[in-house]
Amino acid sequence: MKKLSITKGLAISALTLAMSAGVALAEKTVLISGWGAQSGPLKSFGMNSETILKAAVDKINSEGGVKLKDGSMAKMVYEYYDSRCNAEEGIALARKTATTTNTLIAIGPTCSGVAAASFGVFQKKVDDASDTGLQMPLFTNTAVRNGLAKISQWTFRNTPNEPDMYDKLFAWVRKTKPELKTIYGGTETDQGHSAGTYSKVIVQAAIRHGFEWVAGPIDEVSGKIASGHKNVIKASSNWLMADTSFSVQARAFKKSKADVYLVSSHPFTTCGMLKELARQKAKPKLMIGLTSSSSAETMKGCAKQAEGMIIPTSFAPVTPEAKAVADLAAANGAAADLHSAAAWENVMIIKDVMETVGVSANGENLEADRRAIRDGLEALKTTPGLIGTVTRNQEEGEALKPYVFVHAKGGNWEVLYDPR
Amino acid sequence: MNIEFIDIVQSLIDGVLYGSTYALIGLGFTLIFGAMEKLNMAYAASSIGGAYVGLGVSVLLSLPLYAIFLIGPIGGGLLSVLVYICCFRYLPSNNHLAALMASIGGLFFIDEIISHETDGSPLDFPELGIFSEAYFEIEFSDMFLGFRGDLIFVMFASFLAMLMLMYLLYRTRLGLATRAVSQQPVAAQLCGISIHQTNSITFILAGVLGGIAGCLAAASVGVISPLLVLPLTVKGLIVTVIGGLGSIRGAIIAGLLVGGLESVFLLLRGVNERDIYVFLLLFVFLVFRPNGFFGAEIDRD
Repeated sequence: MKKLSITKGLAISALTLAMSAGVALAEKTVLISGWGAQSGPLKSFGMNSETILKAAVDKINSEGGVKLKDGSMAKMVYEYYDSRCNAEEGIALARKTATTTNTLIAIGPTCSGVAAASFGVFQKKVDDASDTGLQMPLFTNTAVRNGLAKISQWTFRNTPNEPDMYDKLFAWVRKTKPELKTIYGGTETDQGHSAGTYSKVIVQAAIRHGFEWVAGPIDEVSGKIASGHKNVIKASSNWLMADTSFSVQARAFKKSKADVYLVSSHPFTTCGMLKELARQKAKPKLMIGLTSSSSAETMKGCAKQAEGMIIPTSFAPVTPEAKAVADLAAANGAAADLHSAAAWENVMIIKDVMETVGVSANGENLEADRRAIRDGLEALKTTPGLIGTVTRNQEEGEALKPYVFVHAKGGNWEVLYDPR
Repeated sequence: MNIEFIDIVQSLIDGVLYGSTYALIGLGFTLIFGAMEKLNMAYAASSIGGAYVGLGVSVLLSLPLYAIFLIGPIGGGLLSVLVYICCFRYLPSNNHLAALMASIGGLFFIDEIISHETDGSPLDFPELGIFSEAYFEIEFSDMFLGFRGDLIFVMFASFLAMLMLMYLLYRTRLGLATRAVSQQPVAAQLCGISIHQTNSITFILAGVLGGIAGCLAAASVGVISPLLVLPLTVKGLIVTVIGGLGSIRGAIIAGLLVGGLESVFLLLRGVNERDIYVFLLLFVFLVFRPNGFFGAEIDRD
């Protein structure tokens, strides 16, 4: 009896081992990691990105997964972390995923400040033996401040090219509304994206297209990108991201009597500012906002006051693919916008690259797999995007995404002009 | 842009009016400090939390918008007493640092709950009806000085709250008990006054006041967001110190003063330097008048 039990036990153990080995063989996985703000005031950005990233991974797996170098299929799995819009947290997550996990490529972060800091811990130039920086590809979907990806050859972005978008926007405004001549504006000076894009991109583009700053020329601003940007900030009426009173700034806007108001901030203060402008009955002929404000948050906070505001964006449900992603996000309680929808594109691009370069995903060739994916990303000249083909700047790791101009209308962002 | 004298006057008016929200928060800080000689750092968080409760319940039950201003203070009161239980009630009464740290924990805890429940998104907060639509202008040498109706309302509410608190503290048995516990807790206990009951009631009162302040602050901005919590905490503390820890009228005066100066500095020096001057004012008071305007009132026997 006892002998029989031992025999049975051995047989069961052998069977279990054999089955688990079989399962292990059958369930090869490729791991991607992501991080973004999932707590704090910018939580919605990270939540939306993760929801859409998960939906994209689910879609890939439902279609069989990722084809590996040996021809077998692997399921794509992901881990998502909260970087809290904090630079130290972003750096720690980059180090953790690169050194303690089998992550082949990472997606994130949310905030430009975190991106600027954490991109710095990656190896600047590939094959530079003297640089011991992290060697894992990172493909950003949200952090949008201009020119970040060139910090390291391991970092890439699929974020809109704001200089191009605002340049085209002001060219379009100049052409369609020639009666508008003067501009005035303000920004959140403590937010890298808001202030940087405002001073280096938006105002410069406006001046380049013949708009005049109400109080006369701003010293050293010639319309060239980033020239004299500090003077732009000095000449404006600005606020901070946590500000709650905007009366002084709104009064300055009103006093300017400018035709066009530039409001370069994230949804919370955009809404505070727009409401104060409305209270003071400051009525410009046109308002232009920051890309990040073309989101559901602005509509939740101040749809009425934002009515008419124009923003260029790299996402709108204008194609069947984009509409499907927007619907998928909504069904999962999230919102697809220019930041979060890029997570979908990133996952699909990563799958294509992995299949093109051929990864083994067995953990033993981790460094080679990461390098192959990096090289594959760098080699891309174009990628498919939700609203059109994205051109890649191969030297800088940046994207030139198609875009549309949306305006706030009846509580929604509607496409005003589609230059694609 | 050229700054004229009328711009400075206008900024002062704007700031003093907006400072009434700081005054309301300062009142709550000072009430609790006056009763327990402890700082409740979670006060502004529970105040904004109360406003969120009011908004959430009203939307959930499809109640008329004015219900927010009734439910918000109740929510503020409940949150405040919860903070008392978690951060003060069971900590040694002589360990001020423990209570301070616990209430800082309470501040971040409430802030995170709000962020998680709302995904951090700003939410449209109903404004103060006819008051928010009212905007008065006075002609002043071919120029106009503007006054926001809703902020005038908030200012009156602050003064009313101050008068009610003073009545409560100096004309009722509850006020007598609060002052007794504040000045001589042991003697008060020997006279049959329950310290914890009195403190609980003080927290509820402060919480209700905070709920009103939270609703009025959110209504005056027109938007509610977790981002309101930290600035109101910092400004409330500054107001409490400048007004004199424990002084009710000091909180009101300091709230208006801080609001006014902040606004003028914003106009003259820009947003990046604005807070430097407000903190400088705080340092000046801490060095030259550490008891604030009316700090002598909190001297104990």
